Amino acid sequence: MKKLLNEFLKGIIRENPTFVLVLGLCPTLAVSVSIINGIGMGIAATFVLLGSNIIISLIKRIVPDRIRIPCFIVVIATFVTIVEMTMKAYSPALNRALGIYVPLIVVNCMVLGRAEAYAQRATVVNALFDGLGMGIGFTLALILISAIREFFGSGQILGQTLFKGFEPASIFAMPSGALLVIGLLLGFFNLLKNRKAQ
Amino acid sequence: MENRLIVSSSPHLHKGESVSRIMWMVAISLLPAGVAGVVIFGLNALWVSILAVITALATEGILQVLTKRKVSILDGSAFVTGLLLAYNLPPNVPIWLPVIGSFFAIAVGKQVFGGLGQNIFNPALVGRVFLMASWPKYMTAFSRPLNYDALTSATPLASLKEGKILENISYLDLFLGKRGGCIGEVCILALLLGAAFLLIRGYISWHIPATYIASTAILTYIFGPRGLFSGDWLFHILSGGLILGAFFMATDYVTSPLTRKGQIIFGIGCGLLTAIIRLWGGYPEGASYAILMMNAATPIIDRYTKNRVYGTRPL
Amino acid sequence: MNPAQFMTIFISAVFINNVILSRFLGLCSFVAISKETKPALAMSLAVMFVTTMSSIITWFIYRFLLIPFNLTYLRTISFILVIATFVQFVEMVIKKTSPPLYRFFGIYLPLITVNCAVLGVAVLNIDMFFVNAKALPGSFYYSVFQGICVGLGYTIAMLLMSGIRERLDLCNVPKSVKDFPLAFIIASIMSLSFLGFNGFKF
Repeated sequence: MKKLLNEFLKGIIRENPTFVLVLGLCPTLAVSVSIINGIGMGIAATFVLLGSNIIISLIKRIVPDRIRIPCFIVVIATFVTIVEMTMKAYSPALNRALGIYVPLIVVNCMVLGRAEAYAQRATVVNALFDGLGMGIGFTLALILISAIREFFGSGQILGQTLFKGFEPASIFAMPSGALLVIGLLLGFFNLLKNRKAQ
Repeated sequence: MENRLIVSSSPHLHKGESVSRIMWMVAISLLPAGVAGVVIFGLNALWVSILAVITALATEGILQVLTKRKVSILDGSAFVTGLLLAYNLPPNVPIWLPVIGSFFAIAVGKQVFGGLGQNIFNPALVGRVFLMASWPKYMTAFSRPLNYDALTSATPLASLKEGKILENISYLDLFLGKRGGCIGEVCILALLLGAAFLLIRGYISWHIPATYIASTAILTYIFGPRGLFSGDWLFHILSGGLILGAFFMATDYVTSPLTRKGQIIFGIGCGLLTAIIRLWGGYPEGASYAILMMNAATPIIDRYTKNRVYGTRPL
Repeated sequence: MNPAQFMTIFISAVFINNVILSRFLGLCSFVAISKETKPALAMSLAVMFVTTMSSIITWFIYRFLLIPFNLTYLRTISFILVIATFVQFVEMVIKKTSPPLYRFFGIYLPLITVNCAVLGVAVLNIDMFFVNAKALPGSFYYSVFQGICVGLGYTIAMLLMSGIRERLDLCNVPKSVKDFPLAFIIASIMSLSFLGFNGFKF
């Protein structure tokens, strides 16, 4: 049980896909303009990750090694299509906001990276917890980045204006603001790590 | 042992003078333009400049203390960065704008890269485009000169972009700075005085400014508003931030190429990009974006224009 | 089909909506492979080739397979499969016909399968040049041209970045921002400078 908890927790901090493994950044940066978008993308990616991790760990014995990547991609693409269609049906506004980044979960290095590095060698239960942990870690990172960008970029948190006199800096709503935030955050986490190591 | 062999980054220039002395000379050469800016726009221009310089010095000092590096706020480079940033701001911005801009310029434009000599981009321009992207409404609200009753407070380039006819502004007005614009860019006469000082004393070479200005002029002449070869090239030279950029920002030792050939490529690139943005872009002025883009290309230019060591094969 | 449209696609794909600096597609490869100029260039050329070819292939698939049979919801799966197969095929051909070329960018080819830029262009082409499952006039040429331009934008960003990072290798960069953080900050400033092209009208 403790081991499972460990599998689950490692994705949240110690091996956080965004800040430690630096994987799957395209959607992280592209959709993190507002917290709602961030949460939506986080849930979508978590679902895909969970599904693909489980299926891949189930079929690991029957997939020939040489064509494993195409096989994994088909599995992932299936889950992505499910997400895409569900989102289109139940939340068209979110689907519009996330745009091409929903189909692009297929090529999200985080999903394929977990399949390749973990799920194809793990038991189903372990793969499930790994996928859940990684997905939540990814979602939390997205919420952090999008909270920073939403606050500085539009002066709001979850659509609510916080301070009256605050003049939002529109750069944070732009692509270059996203790159800046992730760069500074990564630097900040490195700084903490270096401090701790000393 | 590991600190014995120091491989320092550019500029590796033999000048017989310290970097600090050069920086202060650049600062002195910038003063006439600042004085002109204050005369033209009033005391607010002075406060903006002072705030920008003080913030630049303070940021540099604090970050150097925090990262346990040698504190070198008196080497003049932070002073020049702060001053150049102020020169690129409209005179009536809210007072927090130069403070944030200067902080960003020094912190992200320079100290993140490890300080003087290692930055890739001109810090003052990094600060300017950051402010431009963040608070465009303040960055494009130009006030009119004090003793000048122009009908509009927009810069000549902005009026041109909106398709207005510029009848009430003469070349002499532009040359003396009787127009809307940023603090340090308007008075061409003062800028040329400073530039002449730098050129004569050999602190900058003519390669970048000359090629930069010439290529902008040629392009704006060819692609004029009334068909080919009808452009008002003199107007384009005298307005906007071209002169300030060409002599004082594109020539920055750290962020421009080392070889003469590289500098000529750099200058032409700046000129092309400036003209393209002015003629077809959404912004009226493109000098800062052009110089930044060429800053990004500088390492590549340096790589392919490296002086060949005698006897070796070309790259 | 008019020339101005091509010019707009060019400026938009190369600068304003640069595939890496503004759309963030192919960011992983951008950060991972931009440490030196040579591999960066090899990767860029490979990407440019694949984006162009996949624009062509996916246009045909969408126009002549998915639309007639009402299967547009299979877009993502079919595109990624075709791209993966195509990349694998190219890799095999190059390996067989030109060992030097294979050494030059062979190892980067498999990575391109999962390069978001390639699938991104394909999806983008469909979003931009098809309306209600109908191809706009000239959409094929626009799609191919956009494929080339996106590859070009990737190449420019990659080349500039690798030059900068090679130079920074000699610098005494603060330890905490070394590598990834600084790469993102540089990319941010590059993206800021490309803003100069905003609102471009030819």
